[in-house]
Amino acid sequence: MTTDFADGRMRLTILGGYLGSGKTTWLRHQLHVGSFGDVHVIVNEAAETGVDDVLLKSAKGLTLLAGGCSCCTGRQDLITALRTLCDQQSRDARDAPRLQRIVLETSGLADPAAILAAIQGDPVVVNHIVIDQTIVVVDALHGLAQLQTEPLGRRQIGAADRLIISKGDAVAATDLTLLRATLRALNPSAAQSAAILGAPQPLADLPEDAQAQPLPPLSDEDTRGAIFPTRITIDPEIDWSAFALWLSALLHARGNDLVRVKGVLPTPAGRLLLQTVRKVVQSPEILPVQANQTEDGTIVFLGRGFGPEDLQKSLRKFTRSRPSP
Amino acid sequence: MCNACGNPAVPGHWTEAGAATPGDRLRARFHRAGLLDKVLRPYGLTAHDGGVVPGIQLSTLSGNQSILPDLTAVWAEAERLLGRPIDPLDPAFLNDD
Repeated sequence: MTTDFADGRMRLTILGGYLGSGKTTWLRHQLHVGSFGDVHVIVNEAAETGVDDVLLKSAKGLTLLAGGCSCCTGRQDLITALRTLCDQQSRDARDAPRLQRIVLETSGLADPAAILAAIQGDPVVVNHIVIDQTIVVVDALHGLAQLQTEPLGRRQIGAADRLIISKGDAVAATDLTLLRATLRALNPSAAQSAAILGAPQPLADLPEDAQAQPLPPLSDEDTRGAIFPTRITIDPEIDWSAFALWLSALLHARGNDLVRVKGVLPTPAGRLLLQTVRKVVQSPEILPVQANQTEDGTIVFLGRGFGPEDLQKSLRKFTRSRPSP
Repeated sequence: MCNACGNPAVPGHWTEAGAATPGDRLRARFHRAGLLDKVLRPYGLTAHDGGVVPGIQLSTLSGNQSILPDLTAVWAEAERLLGRPIDPLDPAFLNDD
């Protein structure tokens, strides 16, 4: 992970997860084994005094943002901290070793989608920093109970690219399978892995027929119903401009109901990885050609307020009524 | 960034991904504006991108014009002008066969 990224922008990983889920423990181990390489860590704590910064000494640089969650009250502090990093980067001599990666450990109360929106909305930061992935740590002991009652817990799962199940050694195998099936139902596009005190724990393949725990509707969810995943298939011949037009209109009209969109699309320039959280679209990335491309052309939508067939039908109508390029 | 007009403020809107060279980008802009115009006409709006002005020009049939940097801004302006968003999942659009 020491190679320079072609566009010269720094890669930011957002590390989220509910209070006490094991974010710092996981990150501490990753820093110890060096899986992020030279990395600057930003730790956000909602409380006034920080503790985590003491635990994360092995990072190349560390910024502590205490006294305000960076998805809401502390948002300006986060943007200021990121701008400072961008500024340092620009002042460094051309041949000086450049910072490649930043990890932002959010507070347990943060909604990763709000942080994503804040970063993408800042004209300075967006020119220097690309959001690489959102990792969410889920506590195997308490994860299911949190998902039953906490809307925030469900939002965090929905925003993840990667889910890391912590404390998997503390629960029975059946409970772990139940949790994994529930997570898969909430966010089928996120890769699941497990770790004990940060060290990877092997996970068996989740059976296709594993049943998810039914989650009750929460009081602050409205009458539009529960969030459910929909898969739509994309014609390999699709006109990218027409698709982008459709998706941008959809996100504008229904962005608050579309928690997450993720998929790989065939475009003239190559395989394009597309992902959104609510109304925010991450910079699309061209992926290298791989042997296993079976998932190409499938896009997963996590959302509510529409029928299971509506998205595919809407896309078909939208692109059919337009002229071919 | 141009310090007079602020363009471009961000490294390309996501809908403009996939066009690498300046020629491709310009071609994609013309193509996109053509598609957008066809979508907007039934709503009484027109879109034009001549490649000169940095942005998409949205007009009402009465001649009211705005210049918008990207598609996200276009949909927001269309909602402002129409009083409701243009919704691809609108049952009226879905069931209009």
